Amino acid sequence: MRKTWKKLLALGLAATMVAGMTACGGKKAAELDKLTILVDNTVVNTLNGQAQFEAGLEELMGIDIEIIQPDHSGYYDTVGQTFANPDTTQWPDIVLLGSTYYATYASQGLLADLTEIWEKSDLKASGVIADEKTITDYAIDGKIYGIAPARGNGCMTYVKQSWLDKAGITKVPTTYAEYTAMLDAFVALSPDGYAITSPGLVNNEAPYVNYLPEFFQSAYPDFYQKEDGTWVDGFSEQAMKDALGRLIDAYNNGWIDKEFATNKTSTCRDKFYADKCGVFTYWAGTWAATLSDKLIAAGLDSELVAMKPIDEVGQYIERYSPVWAITSACENPEQAFDLFFGTMLDGSKGQVLWTFGAEDVHWSKKAEDVVVGSGDSTKTYTYGEGEFHFKANLETGDSQYKKNHIDPVLSIAKFKDGEDVSNAQMDPRASAAADIFFSNCTIAPKIVSNDTMSKYQSAIMSLRIELVSQVAAGTISIEDAYARYNDEQGANIQAILDSLNNK
Amino acid sequence: MWGCSVWQPHDYLLQKGCDLMEKKMKKKKTPVSNKPLSVRLYTYRWFYVMFLPVLAFLIVFHYLPLAGIRYMFYSYTSAFNIKWVGLDNFIDLVSRPPFWNSFINTLELSIIKLLLNTFMAVIISLLLNEMVNIYFKKITQTIIYLPHFMSWVVTASVFTLILSTYSSGLVNTMLKTMGIIEAGEEISFLTSTEWWRFTYYLINIWKDTGWGTIVFLATLSGISPDLYEAAQIDGANRWDRMRWITFPSLANTIITVLILNLAKIMNLFESVFVLTNDIVTEVSQVLQTYTYDITFTSAPDYGFSTAVGFFRSMVGCLLVIICNFASKKVRGRGIV
Repeated sequence: MRKTWKKLLALGLAATMVAGMTACGGKKAAELDKLTILVDNTVVNTLNGQAQFEAGLEELMGIDIEIIQPDHSGYYDTVGQTFANPDTTQWPDIVLLGSTYYATYASQGLLADLTEIWEKSDLKASGVIADEKTITDYAIDGKIYGIAPARGNGCMTYVKQSWLDKAGITKVPTTYAEYTAMLDAFVALSPDGYAITSPGLVNNEAPYVNYLPEFFQSAYPDFYQKEDGTWVDGFSEQAMKDALGRLIDAYNNGWIDKEFATNKTSTCRDKFYADKCGVFTYWAGTWAATLSDKLIAAGLDSELVAMKPIDEVGQYIERYSPVWAITSACENPEQAFDLFFGTMLDGSKGQVLWTFGAEDVHWSKKAEDVVVGSGDSTKTYTYGEGEFHFKANLETGDSQYKKNHIDPVLSIAKFKDGEDVSNAQMDPRASAAADIFFSNCTIAPKIVSNDTMSKYQSAIMSLRIELVSQVAAGTISIEDAYARYNDEQGANIQAILDSLNNK
Repeated sequence: MWGCSVWQPHDYLLQKGCDLMEKKMKKKKTPVSNKPLSVRLYTYRWFYVMFLPVLAFLIVFHYLPLAGIRYMFYSYTSAFNIKWVGLDNFIDLVSRPPFWNSFINTLELSIIKLLLNTFMAVIISLLLNEMVNIYFKKITQTIIYLPHFMSWVVTASVFTLILSTYSSGLVNTMLKTMGIIEAGEEISFLTSTEWWRFTYYLINIWKDTGWGTIVFLATLSGISPDLYEAAQIDGANRWDRMRWITFPSLANTIITVLILNLAKIMNLFESVFVLTNDIVTEVSQVLQTYTYDITFTSAPDYGFSTAVGFFRSMVGCLLVIICNFASKKVRGRGIV
């Protein structure tokens, strides 16, 4: 009798375990009742009708949305603090990440693997994605951790036609010699004695050298993989030393704004609008129209020549676009993917929201007058019934909106028939600039990350930025800069190269 | 005989008075109260209730975060990557040249700034004290206090504009107009390693000296007018009165201010953070900005940042102990 009991008990336990395991295996991920999104100010902010945009998304997704939008300049501070928090319930479900951050966080296992989800998704099957390569290009070690809804874009050089006319230059420069000759002529025309302004010489974010391509040419101040597969330190190469020589010339000849070290991007734009300089290297596409509009608002000649890259540059650099990623803390990545990306890139209403914003808040098709500016610079634009147009900026009122998050010129998803509210009527200035850029660009070297890079990369990059600035300003010589570079970071650079090449 | 370096009546009397008071204090050590603790707690219950929010604030924002100090022994790159590394962070720390550079810069910038600000505050206080027209004095005081209320971000923006090498730069334009510099020789005040520190000290003097005068003016207003009257009757002129009455009366306050501020010199951050740039990092990077730079990057190691922060705190703590010791020696009582 006792044996029978024992047998029954053993059977019962085994059955319970099997049932338990079955239950575990078949357990479905919890349904999401809310989606939290951490984003910078590339999405309309609260003063610019974010509530209406959010309401539109909630209606389409059928789920509560919470948009967390920290101050733009402190965005990555917030992202870093978020991912450092062991309490993952405080993490957002979706986060927007620049390429460097994306590579780092993916390598640390903080982002959900979307490879399989993407392969099996309705989004892929829908055929709306016209440029699947942009998605697969962002794979890290063959795995997709984030989706970029648009191509990365990049910077191209804009020259004011009025300055060319004043300098008597009829041919847009195509070589470095012609370019510097133009800068020389512009220095004489500038009220402050410089031809081109720039926020620093090397940026913190890849591709680092996009604001002064004519001086950097083929130099790349970071690790990159050569065609033969070996990784090298671009900053140590001769091309970089040559670029430093050109930057010294640029500084000494007054071609570049000597206040580059204290300039912010907004300062540079303001200097360009205030006609302090005739050349500015800035984002292609929509920004071409914005720069031109701001010149109109300042009462200046607005015609800008979007330059093709000079021969020595060859091609502009297209950056890796910021990607949207689902964090490892998300309870149901599959559902989050379908809801978020399925709406953002649906080729229909969701894509309209992310591209143009909310109807009658950011854009409209109603007959109306849109008034922008104030005082003497007030301008009124009249639109007929059914004519797509952007509304005036709710926060500043000084211009019309140009887009919401996705630049329509760069979007990887095409609208379904009859769903594009703008009828592809893009500003011709933006389209023209984008055409020139994308016909003459190459994608930036791929960003990778591993433990060794995580440990040393930021210190190395900070030193590179410091040295380039100091060399250009004449504080130290090129030789001394490289001596310090090798002395301070030589061992760490070698450690990184070893980690990449012996992978 | 007034002005003779041997006779210093007020100093002598003051010292005597202080010594007597001190002796009395030492002799009479009265207990706070003879009542039991529970009775005292009940008697002063409302004071304790009022203190509760402060206590809560201190615990939440000052003591609980101290638990994070343990991460200095970890490699902490993200919530999923926390590994014990023992003293590796400290070994790494001392081997990094930027760390030592930041440490030396912190000491240099802070100490020179402190001495200059205090010196200027004393000078301005003395000048204000000599002002006869009360309205002019008040207006001057208000004007020199104002910069203190301006945020460092705004201050940096304003000075970047004023010190620009271009047409908007007021200082360079003035120097050119006065013939001190030629066109093309404009001084890069904020973007040259030779000029940055000088500019930094100057901006700090402009911003904080006015506020710093408050404590010195308070001391000056506490000096008995009888002393000045007596000195005047004895034939002392303005300079004599300042030298023999005002300066000695201020001496203790100056030392107190210096000692109190010396304990805070490791806290230098905001003013440097907003005024620094890539060209001048070598002369401007301080420990706090270094910590910020290594923490808010694409690949931070919070463990390493904590180690830097801990080192900074230890130096700050050491300074407090030294200052406390110095304070006891100079003032007869400590600062903590």
